[in-house]
Amino acid sequence: MRMIWLSKGLLVGLALAATSAFAADYPSKDVHIIVPFKPGGGVDTSSRILAEYGNKHMAKGKLEVENRAGGDGVVGQTFAAKAKADGYTVLAMTSSVVTNPILKQTGYKLEDFQPVALYNTDPEVIVVGAASPFKTIAELLAASKERPLTVTVAGIATSHHMAGLALEDSAGMKFTYVPTTGFGAQLQAVMGGHVELGLFPLGEIKKHADAGTVRILAAASDARLDILPNVPTWQEAGLNIKRWTTFRGWAVPKGTPEAAVKYLSDLLGKISTDPAYVKQMNDYGFPIAYKDAAGFTDEVNDYAEVTTRVIAKHGLKEKQ
Amino acid sequence: MTEIALGFATLMDPAVLGFLLIGIVAGLIVGSIPGLNDNIAFAIFIPLSFSLSPTYALALMVGLYCSCAVGGSIPAIMVKVPGTASSVLTAIDGHAMARSGKAGQALGIAITSSVFGGISSALILLLFAPPMAAFALRFGYVENFSLGILGMASVLGLLGGSLIKGLLSAVLGLLVATIGFSQQTGLPRFTLGLDSLYEGVPFVPLLVGLFGITAVLELAEELIRDRRKGETPREMPRITDSLYISWKLSKRLLPTWLQCSVIGNVIGIIPGAGMLMAIYMGYERISHRYKRLFAGKPGEPEWGEGAPEGIAAPESANNAVVASSMVPLLSLGIPGNSVSALFIGALMIQGMVPGPLLFIDHPDIAWMIIVAFLVANVLMWPISYAMVRSISGLVFHLPKYVLVPTISLLCLTGAYSDENSMFSIGIALISGVVGYITRRLGIPHAPLILALVLGRTIEDNLGNALAISGGDWSIFLEPTSHPISLALILGAVAFMLGPIISGSRKRYRARRQRAEMEVRG
Repeated sequence: MRMIWLSKGLLVGLALAATSAFAADYPSKDVHIIVPFKPGGGVDTSSRILAEYGNKHMAKGKLEVENRAGGDGVVGQTFAAKAKADGYTVLAMTSSVVTNPILKQTGYKLEDFQPVALYNTDPEVIVVGAASPFKTIAELLAASKERPLTVTVAGIATSHHMAGLALEDSAGMKFTYVPTTGFGAQLQAVMGGHVELGLFPLGEIKKHADAGTVRILAAASDARLDILPNVPTWQEAGLNIKRWTTFRGWAVPKGTPEAAVKYLSDLLGKISTDPAYVKQMNDYGFPIAYKDAAGFTDEVNDYAEVTTRVIAKHGLKEKQ
Repeated sequence: MTEIALGFATLMDPAVLGFLLIGIVAGLIVGSIPGLNDNIAFAIFIPLSFSLSPTYALALMVGLYCSCAVGGSIPAIMVKVPGTASSVLTAIDGHAMARSGKAGQALGIAITSSVFGGISSALILLLFAPPMAAFALRFGYVENFSLGILGMASVLGLLGGSLIKGLLSAVLGLLVATIGFSQQTGLPRFTLGLDSLYEGVPFVPLLVGLFGITAVLELAEELIRDRRKGETPREMPRITDSLYISWKLSKRLLPTWLQCSVIGNVIGIIPGAGMLMAIYMGYERISHRYKRLFAGKPGEPEWGEGAPEGIAAPESANNAVVASSMVPLLSLGIPGNSVSALFIGALMIQGMVPGPLLFIDHPDIAWMIIVAFLVANVLMWPISYAMVRSISGLVFHLPKYVLVPTISLLCLTGAYSDENSMFSIGIALISGVVGYITRRLGIPHAPLILALVLGRTIEDNLGNALAISGGDWSIFLEPTSHPISLALILGAVAFMLGPIISGSRKRYRARRQRAEMEVRG
């Protein structure tokens, strides 16, 4: 008995020593941000901007962006989930971490991750071409109740397709889905008038709306956006959806020491107040939306609840 | 006009211009080494290019693409070993001319003809790509499906040799293109449970394997064959006469240059047809002209024994294919040949998609590429003249046993760095071996590459067109609502029927000849 107590005590003592030593040391080497996509996309670009500004505040070591693309993000996400939970592997976490394990047979679950902090959200917007007969969301809503409208989305079972399904459920709209493999092809279809509308994340379409080639009819944010003062929210437009956003943030493997999570969360918080960082992110179309670990966890859970419902209702899941 | 200025402004950055120059010099060297060509050089370079700014990477590729064919003509003329496939015909008259002590003249003709063909093709790119791109925005799913079909039909129809082997190659490409998630369902197919195959077989490692690894295996094979034969060292070639061609000769070659530039540009714009077809067509056509005007006259050699036109025709034709093969790529996103298909890889790595949207999203890049082709061809002239003497000796100092391990290493590093994974290396190795086996079986690679690129386009656009039409297939042939689609489908039918009709005409003629002989006999 004594022996067991002794060894237990020893273990606890060792663990405590390790944690405190860890807290004092972290970070003692480079922190790798795993981007589960190829270089050049939104996640990659924003991660590189983050690393650039974050490195000014890092006590020791550097933030290194590492691309592990493939499988629609699954390859890199699995890699990060299985990485050592020591705070030196961080996943650039996007909405697909929530939906991939439900839709596909992935080697990780959402619960394998500990959200660290959120840095950017992208509300879904309803977009029509400049030559479209629909001038307002009310006209579009009315038309879509009479006959199915053709809508282009960036892939079946993506967050954008699910936004369409959610609109059918809650606003009584009817759609025929025209999936594409990227936002570029989607834009081409909307601009060329080959489909009647498109569902886009705002960041991908903002500059084209500014250029006047497309019109944004409604945005799925909690309140009207500063950059789109004349565009109603989905709720205001009577679509009965309060919010539909994709998000970008950081997550670490479950079991990462609390001190590391806090360090990284605070680091993102510190960067978010840097005016140069804010300007650069805005210029690229990634408006800042900082939330700490607790706030980000809520956001992730909210999103998981809504999408799980849509996936189950519409049978999007891979047959197993 | 402002767009052209934008292209120039992007290009005139000293660093960008520097990369263009590096590309031109590298192209001359790569082309002059038998066994190396622009495909292999790109396969090695592309995966490594993502750390470069896109303007640097693309400028280098444009330079290399332009000058590679010129490089290939140097060993063809000096030692009758074509440096690239595009100079096989140059070797005939070129080497004959060099043997008669006029190596300098032969090289001068090759360089000047190449520059002429190249500039003509750069002008075609400048004039055609942008308006075609603007027009292509009006292409919907119906039109894009028909365009994909036309692309596939043209590569099969224009292919010399066995139609069956061409079809096999295309089918192989289409099958590989079905791997990955289906756009219509969002679910994966044929992925063998591998996450890495969700988005399809990764394109860049596939190209690295198909071009780089295949070339390594072929080089190794040649090396073994040479060993067995006990290679005899060849005599070092010398350039004794002037490289500069006279005004009189230029005037005489002008009609050849013009005709072959037209042929090269037309071939370049049609997807699937490559430089080889252009040089054979040009060579054939000019041979008749030469035999009619010059052959048998005093001081004029027989055709094939050192005729200046025999160099000018293939060299102006092959360089006229270069920039014009970028017309369908930049305007419609469909590559004109396998080299321009590699530009897709280079753009993709930078997160850009070739096609009409490139002119809207990245006008600086799109216009820089166009302007760069023009500038590269102009610069190529003095650079080639300055370098030709040193390059002509190079082919003797670079043994194949150095090339094999060097290229292998560069290819595998490149494949790995594309996705930072061993999986990519596996893909490169498998496609290299498959590429080698298919080449040994005489199966052409052009249909395979085009099918890989177009397979997805065809399938996805078919799905979406039918979704919009409510499953009505006649939408593709509807003359009032989709006249472009109807025209494209008719074009595709013509491309497929062409060789069958001409084939049966040839057979008919051959039968008649035999019958006549029998009658006479």
